[in-house]
Amino acid sequence: MDCYTANWNPLGDSAFYRKYELYSMDWDLKEELRDCLVAAAPYGGPIALLRNPWRKEKPASARPVLEIYSASGVPLASLLWKSGPVVSLGWSAEEELLCVQEDGVVLVYGLHGDFRRHFSMGNVGGPGGWGKGMETGFWMPGSSILMPTWVTSNSAGCQSLRWSFSTTIGLQSAPSCWTTVCQDRVAHILLAVGPDLYLLDHAACSAVTPPGLAPGVSSFLQMAVSFTYRHLALFTDTGYIWMGTASLKEKLCEFNCNIRAPPKQMVWCSRPRSKERAVVVAWERRLMVVGDAPESIQYPWRADSYLVPELDGVRIFSRSTHEFLHEVPVASEEIFKIASMAPGALLLEAQKEYEKESQKADEYLREIQELGQLPQAVQQCIEAAGHEHWPDMQKSLLRAASFGKCFLDRFPPDSFVRMCQDLRVLNAVRDYHIGIPLTYSQYKQLTIQVLLDRLVLRRLYPLAIQICEYLRLPEVQGVSRILAHWACYKVQQKDVSDEDVARAINQKLGDTPGVSYSDIAARAYGCGRTELAIKLLEYEPRSGEQVPLLLKMKRSKLALSKAIESGDTDLVFTVLLHLKNELNRGDFFMTLRNQPMALSLYRQFCKHQELETLKDLYNQDDNHQELGSFHIRASYAAEERIEGRVAALQTAADAFYKAKNEFAAKATEDQMRLLRLQRRLEDELGGRFLDLSLHDTVTTLILSGQNKRAEQLARDFRIPDKRLWWLKLTALADLEDWEELEKFSKSKKSPIGYLPFVEICMKQHNKYEAKKYASRVGPEQKVKALLLVGDVAQAADVAIEHRNEAEMSLVLSHCTGATDGATADKIQRARAQAQKK
Amino acid sequence: MAFPHRPDAPELPDFSMLKRLARDQLIYLLEQLPGKKDLFIEADLMSPLDRIANVSILKQHEVDKLYKVENKPALSSSLVNADKMAGRTRKYKVIFSPQKFYACEMVLEEEGVYGDVSCDEWAFSLLPLDVDLLSMELPEFFRDYFLEGDQRWINTLAQALHLLSTLYGPFPNCYGIGRCAKMSYELWKRLEEEEDGETKGRRPEIGQIFLLDRDVDFVTALCSQVVYEGLVDDTFRIKCGSVDFGPEVTSSDKSLKVLLNAEDKVFNEIRNEHFSNVFSFLSQKARNLQAQYDRRRGMDIKQMKNFVSQELKGLKQEHRLLSLHIGACESIMKKKTKQDFQELIKTEHALLEGFNIRESTSYIEEHIDRQVSPIESLRLMCLLSITENGLIPKDYRSLKTQYLQSYGPEHLLTFSNLRRAGLLTEQAPGDTLTAVESKVSKLVTDKAAGKITDAFSSLAKRSNFRAISKKLNLIPRVDGEYDLKVPRDMAYVFSGAYVPLSCRIIEQVLERRGWQGLDEVVRLLNCSELAFTDMTKDDKASSESLRLILVVFLGGCTFSEISALRFLGREKGYRFIFLTTAVTNSARLMEAMSEVKA
Repeated sequence: MDCYTANWNPLGDSAFYRKYELYSMDWDLKEELRDCLVAAAPYGGPIALLRNPWRKEKPASARPVLEIYSASGVPLASLLWKSGPVVSLGWSAEEELLCVQEDGVVLVYGLHGDFRRHFSMGNVGGPGGWGKGMETGFWMPGSSILMPTWVTSNSAGCQSLRWSFSTTIGLQSAPSCWTTVCQDRVAHILLAVGPDLYLLDHAACSAVTPPGLAPGVSSFLQMAVSFTYRHLALFTDTGYIWMGTASLKEKLCEFNCNIRAPPKQMVWCSRPRSKERAVVVAWERRLMVVGDAPESIQYPWRADSYLVPELDGVRIFSRSTHEFLHEVPVASEEIFKIASMAPGALLLEAQKEYEKESQKADEYLREIQELGQLPQAVQQCIEAAGHEHWPDMQKSLLRAASFGKCFLDRFPPDSFVRMCQDLRVLNAVRDYHIGIPLTYSQYKQLTIQVLLDRLVLRRLYPLAIQICEYLRLPEVQGVSRILAHWACYKVQQKDVSDEDVARAINQKLGDTPGVSYSDIAARAYGCGRTELAIKLLEYEPRSGEQVPLLLKMKRSKLALSKAIESGDTDLVFTVLLHLKNELNRGDFFMTLRNQPMALSLYRQFCKHQELETLKDLYNQDDNHQELGSFHIRASYAAEERIEGRVAALQTAADAFYKAKNEFAAKATEDQMRLLRLQRRLEDELGGRFLDLSLHDTVTTLILSGQNKRAEQLARDFRIPDKRLWWLKLTALADLEDWEELEKFSKSKKSPIGYLPFVEICMKQHNKYEAKKYASRVGPEQKVKALLLVGDVAQAADVAIEHRNEAEMSLVLSHCTGATDGATADKIQRARAQAQKK
Repeated sequence: MAFPHRPDAPELPDFSMLKRLARDQLIYLLEQLPGKKDLFIEADLMSPLDRIANVSILKQHEVDKLYKVENKPALSSSLVNADKMAGRTRKYKVIFSPQKFYACEMVLEEEGVYGDVSCDEWAFSLLPLDVDLLSMELPEFFRDYFLEGDQRWINTLAQALHLLSTLYGPFPNCYGIGRCAKMSYELWKRLEEEEDGETKGRRPEIGQIFLLDRDVDFVTALCSQVVYEGLVDDTFRIKCGSVDFGPEVTSSDKSLKVLLNAEDKVFNEIRNEHFSNVFSFLSQKARNLQAQYDRRRGMDIKQMKNFVSQELKGLKQEHRLLSLHIGACESIMKKKTKQDFQELIKTEHALLEGFNIRESTSYIEEHIDRQVSPIESLRLMCLLSITENGLIPKDYRSLKTQYLQSYGPEHLLTFSNLRRAGLLTEQAPGDTLTAVESKVSKLVTDKAAGKITDAFSSLAKRSNFRAISKKLNLIPRVDGEYDLKVPRDMAYVFSGAYVPLSCRIIEQVLERRGWQGLDEVVRLLNCSELAFTDMTKDDKASSESLRLILVVFLGGCTFSEISALRFLGREKGYRFIFLTTAVTNSARLMEAMSEVKA
């Protein structure tokens, strides 16, 4: 363990840098890296290589091969490049490979070399283009127009952003280097032409000067922006490196390396909350770590290598190895620094001595405890374990932490447990076969969800599921999501039969909550496997979810029955309108006929929106009853002219006859007659008759003194006697034509009796007339009539005469005050008498 | 009066949460359109909205002007297009409540304004009208479902039930009867399954739920109401829990909008009373009040101060309410005597009991001939039809003819509607089937039996009211006078003449904890396939929660039914909570079926 710090190199006074091997690469590279376009995704992502046959010096011999490897050099894909010359390669945040062609077309490939899609950045004009990673610029020499274009990726996928600058900046030659910088969440472009720097945004271009830049610069050879877009480094032709903030407002430090050759790559090597800010510069045979210190760290450079900037360091891979260079994290530094007396270091020592069964263990422990630093010591060990790459080292640090924990009463266990879990996950994914060399900080930044996505992307479903189960993630976020992805992959296996795939999927997924069979089916349909999609949909428990896909697959009738099953009328409606456009009218109606729920829904819709269709529907069904009703409604609502209304009624009557509804047919015919008659009455007499009921028509006639006509009408329409009497009675009383009323009452015996006469006269407050009729009221209503006209005494007499108990009490209830005192007594007496008997 | 609940009766859950929920959602929707805005409200939504968020709340959220949209369907397009013509540009948002249908978007599209407006949903489906009454305020439910066979509201209902179970815990025991009840129940259960885990493990607050279709019991809804609250509804129309008392009630020249619920102390005591008791109660109350006023005579200054600061306000409030209700009573009395209410009630009772049918028929005929009221006449005809298993063909024809002559020929459509809904039908003459019915029976025997539409099935359906009435003992045997002051069963809500069928079914099912022994009744109701029970073996349901019962009326319930069940609750130590698509009464049912000229 003495040599633990052997690979540590100090930079300045405060920081150490260390470089350790992640993997030894046994990829079988046919080409030199320097001859290839290289792109490596951050966060331990995959590496893409494309031999660049379009470079002038080496004429193209054959079609190049695009190869994709995992970070550990395991081949993932290899395909023959058949498209046009490629300018640059880059990885999106979803780990999709973007290949930018000279003509501005971007081809997007999946991790496994599967072509996804392509898009164009538009006409980019000239052949001159250069790119690095996700950013590719095009410019047309001579025309002074620069069109930097870069590809951003967001959750919706990749899209191109293209800026063309109207401002000319007098480009005589190609810019020596450029980069995008981010200020206030707006992207700008920093561009170097000769000794000048320009900052461009979409509207303007301004020359800028970095503060404190050493004089004598005639050209910038390289520039680099840090992983977090905060810092900027510039490399000049004088071998001078300027480091500052990306806003170009502040200089951090500078360094003169006295190498004038343009470096191959320059990247930042720092981590969040880093003490030191350093830049790694790579030449063909040399690697240099430069920071705010007079001396730099130099590594000899054996072979052709490539740098990948990461959140907390730089990955360096070559033909043979894959290494990680980073600033030693604080916790590790404290513990392992030579002669460190930090609590963590002492705890580690104590634990080692304890294992050796030496009493020194106790001494060390006591030392920490005396200072009361045991909690920090444990925490330090836990933290340092996270930053170690080698499991042995992780273990010994965790063991130390665990040892220290024994001497603490109340140390919350979560941090320890969580670190153990995280390390287990990290070690699993760092495995050579998986090849995702994530550091602890990267892992925390990436989150477990994204890591799982990446595993799924690499089709490492079992590992992903094991991780979910190990971390006890909720099923919906974890296992079932991965299973769903697995199923989506499974449906793409064209060599397996539909039945087998469907069964296999159902066996694995079962009723796992949160798995959407319809999504999987949609994928199957996307691969052109309609039958499989339908089979999969059968497993979908929510019938509503099945509908949209069924519609897409043109299985509209199946969709309709599923929609009805779901009970969601909106869904039914969606399918209906779909069907309506898809089928011809006849077929559509036939379909409806078999689905009463859909039919009534569609009818409702037609009633409000398409009346004509409603008629057709009834016609189709031979539903003459409803057809009749439809025309009746039309005669009131749609038609204005009397002829039209009569015609509509005639159609209705015909329909009713067909429906064998004679009553309705007759009633409709009567109405036609009435309507014509009313029209004539309006013409002859003026006033309003149209749309009155028969009753009201007759009443109106009587009120306007047309008794003859009224009687004629009553005869024509066979108005029953009773109705006629009520009608006349009311109308004449309204007219207060008492003479006519009396005449009428004597015309023949009243079919409604004479009590109504009394009532109506009293209603008009004509007691005199009322009394006339009271005498004619039949015996059983006599009491009531007499009471109505206020003749209590006589009412009492009649009641007594009738010996009717109910009538007597009725009269009694009308006896008020002193006036009727005598009458009341009389009744009481009669009652008493009746009871005696 | 106003019988207290048994001491062990469970507490009602707090439903004001529903109001808060709706209000917060509305505010959220309003805030999405920042700045000053005008709000156009459909007339039907005006009163419910007022119960949720009053004008000052709306103003707080920068609603500038409020407009009432009268025409139906509300055409947002006309507004948008008018603005376009005037060259005004505004932002538009259409908020659909309680839910946006696919057709809504389509209509907007057809009107050519789909691109100009943004749409949103205000899932406001449950309005707590009272401590024990939740209304969906969907009066159109009745016609849409029971006449047109339109099932779109079922989803809304299932959502509402789902909301209740997320807020108040799962319902361990479910009962129901009717096609709509069954469909809603199944849809609701499916919703619960899809989002399982949310309600699991929660203690149920409401132990039992009972869903009932309105068409299981039309009779009760068609009867004239005689308990106070029902009578007020029949006479003045209670709208959204409040009523407009006109000048004849307020005895001033202004109308007054009065909120009728448990907070009105006076009303709360008389709402469930038979009308004949109300007057005496109110006068007693008036005397008590006077006595309380009179107390101040003998008071010293300190007592007086106390009285003024603490009691006077309450007394004044009570005084105000008392005079209002007395006014209402007088007004009701006046109206009822004018129409010869006694005669009408007598006929109704005769129909319910099934004697003197001829006499009742001629009473109805006279009613029609005299043009008393189109709605009332229709109601009596329906009552006759349902209690008698349809009218005999002769009466069917003549009554209809009379009706058309009196009230206008367009009611031919009304009759067609009533027949479709099974409210007014013709007795089959012997065994010979009418044309339509033979067609139906052909469809039934057809292999595709499932294809009969709801409309047809209701056509084939027979009311077997008389047999049911006997089985369930709906007409109480009374020796001597029924004491309406001390009711002994639910029949008191109809003057002791009839126990509401719907309430009796609920009572029986709750007693038997299921449908066992009610097979015959269910068969007579034509609901053999449609009565269901679902009990979960859940020991978490406390005995207290089991006595809290949510009754869901699909298609509306009447105040009489509410009163009857409140009575039952007091007797048995239950508490009922009512959820209805809307509060209804006979007039509303008939209006829903009527076709009136535009």
